[in-house]
Amino acid sequence: MEGTAAAVCEILKYLIIHWKCETAEVSKGALLEGQLVISIEALNSKHQANTLHCVTTIASAGSIYGGLVLKKFLKEIQSILHGFSAKLNWTSEEASYSQDTSGVTPFQMIFEVDEKPKTLMTDCLIIKNFLHKIIIVLPKIRFNFSVKVNGIFSMEIFEAENEPTLNLSNGIALVVNYQHYVSAPKFGTTELLCSRIHPVLGHPVVLFIPDDVAGMGLLGELILTPAAALCPCPKVFSNQLNRISSISIFLYGPLGLPLILPSQEQPTAAIFKDTSYFIDWKKYHLCVVPNLDLNLDGDLVLPDVSYQVESSEGDQSQNMDPQGQTLLLFLFVDFHSRFPVQQMELWGVQTLLTTHLSAIFMESHSAVQDSIQITVGQVLEHHHQAVKAHQKLQASLSVAVNSIMSIMTGSTSSSFRKICLQTLQATDTQEFRTKLHKSFHETTQHRFLHHCSCEVKQQLLPERDDAEQSTEDAHENSSLELLAGTSGQVGNKRLKGSSLHQGVEETRAFRSAGALSPSEAARRRAEATVSPLTPSRSRTGPGSGLEDALWLQEVSNLSEWLSPGPRP
Amino acid sequence: MAFAPSGPEASFFEVLDQHRASLLATLRRGGGEPAGGGTRLASSSEVLASIENIIQDVITSLARNEAPAFTIDNRSSWENIKFEDSVGLHMISHCTTRKIKSDSPKSVKNFALILKILSTIYKLVQSNTYATKRDIYYTDSQLFGNQTVVDNIINDISCMLKVPRRSLHILSTSKGLIAGNLRYIEEDGTKVNCTCATAVPVSSNIQGIRNLITDAKFLLIVEKDATFQRLLDDNFCNKMSPCIMVTGKGVPDLNTRLLVKKLWDTFHIPVFSLVDADPHGIEIMCIYKYGSMAMSFEAHNLTVPAIRWLGLLPSDIKRLNIPKSTLIPMTKRDQMKLDSILKRPYVTCQPFWRKEMEIMGDSKMKAEIQALTFLSSDYLSRVYLPNKLKFGGWI
Repeated sequence: MEGTAAAVCEILKYLIIHWKCETAEVSKGALLEGQLVISIEALNSKHQANTLHCVTTIASAGSIYGGLVLKKFLKEIQSILHGFSAKLNWTSEEASYSQDTSGVTPFQMIFEVDEKPKTLMTDCLIIKNFLHKIIIVLPKIRFNFSVKVNGIFSMEIFEAENEPTLNLSNGIALVVNYQHYVSAPKFGTTELLCSRIHPVLGHPVVLFIPDDVAGMGLLGELILTPAAALCPCPKVFSNQLNRISSISIFLYGPLGLPLILPSQEQPTAAIFKDTSYFIDWKKYHLCVVPNLDLNLDGDLVLPDVSYQVESSEGDQSQNMDPQGQTLLLFLFVDFHSRFPVQQMELWGVQTLLTTHLSAIFMESHSAVQDSIQITVGQVLEHHHQAVKAHQKLQASLSVAVNSIMSIMTGSTSSSFRKICLQTLQATDTQEFRTKLHKSFHETTQHRFLHHCSCEVKQQLLPERDDAEQSTEDAHENSSLELLAGTSGQVGNKRLKGSSLHQGVEETRAFRSAGALSPSEAARRRAEATVSPLTPSRSRTGPGSGLEDALWLQEVSNLSEWLSPGPRP
Repeated sequence: MAFAPSGPEASFFEVLDQHRASLLATLRRGGGEPAGGGTRLASSSEVLASIENIIQDVITSLARNEAPAFTIDNRSSWENIKFEDSVGLHMISHCTTRKIKSDSPKSVKNFALILKILSTIYKLVQSNTYATKRDIYYTDSQLFGNQTVVDNIINDISCMLKVPRRSLHILSTSKGLIAGNLRYIEEDGTKVNCTCATAVPVSSNIQGIRNLITDAKFLLIVEKDATFQRLLDDNFCNKMSPCIMVTGKGVPDLNTRLLVKKLWDTFHIPVFSLVDADPHGIEIMCIYKYGSMAMSFEAHNLTVPAIRWLGLLPSDIKRLNIPKSTLIPMTKRDQMKLDSILKRPYVTCQPFWRKEMEIMGDSKMKAEIQALTFLSSDYLSRVYLPNKLKFGGWI
């Protein structure tokens, strides 16, 4: 990985760790909240042809970096980045920060590097992905990332504050809006009715550090907690989603910091090259191969490890729709100690994990494998149940449609046939059949939307009469989904024609959808809480200690499809 | 009279004749047979139109983006059933219902199966062909799962459309037998004479039977086939001629009940039941007399409240000194069934029946009709039944 991206990512990691340690006493377990601004200004170098002189500024908007000892910071950062070939020129420490009259000390640091344009472009994509990875677990941090190349300016804002999240332990939360992980346009709006993923948390396991990498004197334990989910929600009843087509693995260290940066040499994730090292995919009849084709330039958060599921022979006859569902696997490695964790300790753990993750995982292979396998198994079992329930529904609807068609087409009453056609606005029996099937499908989907635990409104509003709620939710859920789909969209709104390429026409900057009023934002925020399973955990925020009861209820609802109902 | 004279002298039937006169008088006082409620014979076009209306409702719901649902009367709920002395158990007019929804995981399959069977009925009625419930099950046994599902849906449809099953062109398989002084012509023109030595199977098209002719003084309903066959072997029909015997071989099928009802409606001859002295036998007798919960929606076509309990009465056991070794201890299930029957609304107007059931409950013993063979092998046909019939030993 090149200089600018590496520098920015490591600096941000350091700052977040420092920030967390500074605020640990004040708000244990609370999500980090604040704003960081990263800007890169690049101009043609006066000394080298085809080279851009890039000035990168990292600044904070508040006083979150009070207490940062700059000398120590620079020394530690340089020790991390010394291996990179790019030359980094640091500004003097006197110019690094300034004080305003309010007494608040905003943080700002600047460094310069010369890079090829293509390198800068790659760096920018890497930084974007890194920021995106951070906000999906630290949703209250907002990043303003702007790039100005020879006067052409572009900016993106990365934030996920108003999005539904799943609280995890130790002050991180997982954003459960599916749009971060799967492209929206591939699913028609009529079919995708649940905008969330429903992570299943696995049992945390202690990770043992191999002897040859130990010696840090850690006064605590490394705990791995896996979380898995299918994306999009398996309750979406579409033929496209009956199969799992890809697997994305995300690796996070303490405080929700990504362990792997894109394009980085991957010794960290080397063990994942063996697709079956931690998960026996054959149990689920999945043929999994590594997917090396990861597109850095995308709106989705890029996984650290990606697998592709190859179709079995039985699927050959079916339409080979590549869409399918994606199995998301999040591996959170956290550090727990009975003693207050010092910043350097955390930084050391982060470094240890980024450099020796494979070895650490291998040391605890059996436990890690069990935990991941069980977690994935649960999710896939849910998927399997959802598929069976869907098939059962489809079979029933098919019987209903065929029966109605049999009566309608067999009737000798022209008035009856005419009324049937007119009611569904069909011109012939073929069209009538199509509309009949579609109508049944839509009314059934509507019911499952009502039952979906994803709806924020069901969680926030006080209890109502069931009949009343069912009527209201029928209207409001759909509008809520529309609302989620438009205004609350993921913070990385790409500018139109964002110019990371040289010579691109003028662009404009805009802010992401901050148009939500506070009450609206509060209304739409939903934080399903999960019982933190780690042994020594801090408070996880509102409703801590509860399982994702709504998701579990939905799973039990799924089982209704599979159990015989009462006789008529 | 077309039948050859046989059987006892005319004086033997005095009490029976008086009983018949009493029944006829009761009928006259009550204004004749109660008007048929609940279900009625419907023409084919009416049935087709009813089904088309249901389909239209379904499609209209869909057009409004509402999940269609069927509203079905709760046939299996006591709160929807009332007792009338003249009819027996029948459904109340405004009964509770349940919805079979198309958008509920638990009921969507049932919803689809109802449509499936409606389409089958539609075709049967259109083509003027008939099928049994078993035939319908086998059209797609994998889809239906089991026969009970089909049976229940057919009953629900019959209740929903308020037409008897026959109007849906669905026949129930007959298992009953009939013997004795009776002749009739089936719908297809077949002439049936029940006086032959072996019994005649109950027709599967009771409503199509015409030209019923009998001189029978009584109709004896026999619970078990074994007892029926024994009476046949003992030539009971000739010895007690003129009479008719019928058995449903346990819990009676619909056609056997329809036949008993038809014979009562046509001839108004005394109807007696011969059942085991156990709760199961009493329940079977109650089905003939008062109807069942499941078919309460069709009670007016099926029940014969005039039925009298001839035997085996629990009080007969002691009266006849039937050996205790022939008696069987009641099981817990027997006791529960007996308690359930005692709580039913019709028992309150049958104080003698209640008394007999209390005798059974107190003794905690039950007896089969075959217990009488311990007195003598032909005691049933030679002594027990003739005495009962001659001296009015029924309740």
